[in-house]
Amino acid sequence: MPEAAEYVKTLDINVDELSSPEYESILDRAGKRIEEAILSNVVGEPSPNDDIEIPSFPIAVMMVAATNDPLLKRRYALAEAKRVSNLLKDESKEKVREISSNFNWKIRLIETSVGSLTYDFALHFTDFLKNATGIQDKQWKLVNRLVLNGEVYLTKTEVSRLLEEEVRRYIEGKLNIKVGLLPQDIMDRVDLLQRLFMEKRGKIRLEELPKGISIIAFPPCIKALYDAISSGRHISHVGRFALTSFLINAGMTVENVVDLFRSLSDFDERMTRYQVEHIAGGRGSRTRYIPPRCDTLRTHGICPGMNEICRRIRHPLAYYRRKLKIIRAEVPLERA
Amino acid sequence: MKKIETKSFIQDKFAEYYQRHAYTIPPPNSIEKREFGFLLFKERIMLRHKGFQKVDSLQEFLKATVPSDVYYSGAFYEKPEEEMEEKGWLGADLIFDIDADHIPTPCAKVHDTWVCSNCGFVGRGAPPETCPACGKQKFDEKTWLCEVCLESAKAETMKLIDLLMKDFGFSAEEMCVYFSGHRGYHLHVESEEVHALDPMARKEIVDYVIGIGLETSFHGLVERRSGKKSPILAGPDLGGLGWRGRIARGTYEFLLTATPEELEKIGLKKAAIDVLTQHRERIVESWRGQGPWGIMKGVSAQSWRKVAQRAVEKQSVKIDTVVTTDVHRLIRLTNTLHGKTGLRKVEVPITGIERFDPLKSAIVFKEGVVTVFVSEAPQFRLGEEIYGPYERQRIEVPTAVALLLLCKGAAKVE
Repeated sequence: MPEAAEYVKTLDINVDELSSPEYESILDRAGKRIEEAILSNVVGEPSPNDDIEIPSFPIAVMMVAATNDPLLKRRYALAEAKRVSNLLKDESKEKVREISSNFNWKIRLIETSVGSLTYDFALHFTDFLKNATGIQDKQWKLVNRLVLNGEVYLTKTEVSRLLEEEVRRYIEGKLNIKVGLLPQDIMDRVDLLQRLFMEKRGKIRLEELPKGISIIAFPPCIKALYDAISSGRHISHVGRFALTSFLINAGMTVENVVDLFRSLSDFDERMTRYQVEHIAGGRGSRTRYIPPRCDTLRTHGICPGMNEICRRIRHPLAYYRRKLKIIRAEVPLERA
Repeated sequence: MKKIETKSFIQDKFAEYYQRHAYTIPPPNSIEKREFGFLLFKERIMLRHKGFQKVDSLQEFLKATVPSDVYYSGAFYEKPEEEMEEKGWLGADLIFDIDADHIPTPCAKVHDTWVCSNCGFVGRGAPPETCPACGKQKFDEKTWLCEVCLESAKAETMKLIDLLMKDFGFSAEEMCVYFSGHRGYHLHVESEEVHALDPMARKEIVDYVIGIGLETSFHGLVERRSGKKSPILAGPDLGGLGWRGRIARGTYEFLLTATPEELEKIGLKKAAIDVLTQHRERIVESWRGQGPWGIMKGVSAQSWRKVAQRAVEKQSVKIDTVVTTDVHRLIRLTNTLHGKTGLRKVEVPITGIERFDPLKSAIVFKEGVVTVFVSEAPQFRLGEEIYGPYERQRIEVPTAVALLLLCKGAAKVE
């Protein structure tokens, strides 16, 4: 088995050679990797022939990069990263440490028991945070870890999981490199894969939010902010941002959001309009902002406490969608 | 007329300070990559997106402009003078702000006042939800700097230093602590390794410091089952590492003095409250071994979890969460004056912080006396002396005291 680190780092290829017949089986395997990532989020069984398997990876990377499709890139990077972490399961601690060091992690092998747990690694907290903030589980919050002298204490399984994130970001980085012109037969393969992804994606399209604002479907945090602003009470900057971005994303017009702030004693129409338009994506960077996640709202003291629905979601907009669904399901019953 | 005189008096004093002392202002590291911001006396606007290649030009600028407040970015930029989106963020120091406003203090902020913006009703302490006179919910708040508040802010700062050293491994050389010149302390971590941390990573550090999202089960408070017996609750001990030890020590302190009311407030039932208040000695004794967890009959695992959560609250550090997570934030520059007090932001030695007296160290105007007319001010100390309380009276006081009253809007120049 090729070493996982080198495996993802051998990414130099000579494009001109690709059309020659000896590359056929490598291109097939590369295509298969992408196809399986699209269809089932894995990269499947490796080819038993290392001369095919190893070069098929950089070629697959190049093909995905050529699609210029950010969603496909993400999906492929995730599938490859999952594969690496699966391979890591059977590796020794020493090997895992070696691979981590290849990504410049500051990591040490240890054997420390605290309570009923035995830790195998101590990893510098910056390397931990770089990879753990993307994982949505309480166990990955820094505050729930043993942190000592700048290091986070981890088991081998946990380090493998963090490496998966690192590899994913590493591959995503590679996928964003501009690819020059590829030979036509390879472009044909790329087009085919892209079409397959479009078909698959059609089925997983996110549901859109309905028009019109439903205040009774607001999560408790947004409701509290909304009530505060409606009665002219002062709310913090984070609160204003959360409320505005929520309302914009729920479909409220810039005009109506600006009106809402009118009752504040420090209301400045020009300034408010500028800021609301900025959040709505009409200015500057042209990106529409989404409200902060639940745990961010908790950090800044905006969360007034969770209710039943809150426990099942991580984002105020997810709450809104879910509650709307519940309300809509209830309405016909009431009428009956 | 009086208002203008007062304003220009303050401005003249600030000008005098910058003329004589601008050279003492230390440049932030990589000054050429920082954005500077200045609050202007006259226009009351923030002049932002300024950049300086060298500290001399910054010092000259301060002498010429005499701003009421001076700020610089915790961030480093490729082009600090460009608009926000064009600046090119390169990294930022890790900054913590501890402000008395965020700490519940024993003085209950009786020195602070609020005025209803609608009817003018005046009250003390923190403003209520609604005005008792007219029921409206908008208030103007006036805060004061008081010793008790500043002491609690200092105690929080010391907790923070301890946590950043023990848990995050920062050395005293990597951290700088400052008194802000008003009601709090700033702590800057300027170590290279924190520069690249993104807002999400900084949020995780904030949550660690304030104990948000902490689940005690990850820190040793777990029920263990052995054989067929019913599960036994185990918990962290006083010498535990990281948050484990903090939970134990917080629990120890809390149970040492907790009143039945305090225990009821965290949701304990009468039976558990009785046990915990009637067996304090046994609890203290138990810490020599495995701690009181699981050995007090009548206190359920659920109750212990509530006690431990209260311990987390006690051990957490009360910081302003936004300052740390905002990677574009402007921070007051060291040795510049605070527009609300006329005091200066000063560095606090980390060893010896216990003995640091902000109300002495931050004074800049040490000569002369000024006569002012005070409308209202609570009693306060500055330097060695105690002043006030004042109400509608003419007083002759040292320059620094007069300036504080003037900057606070509590007095006028006579």
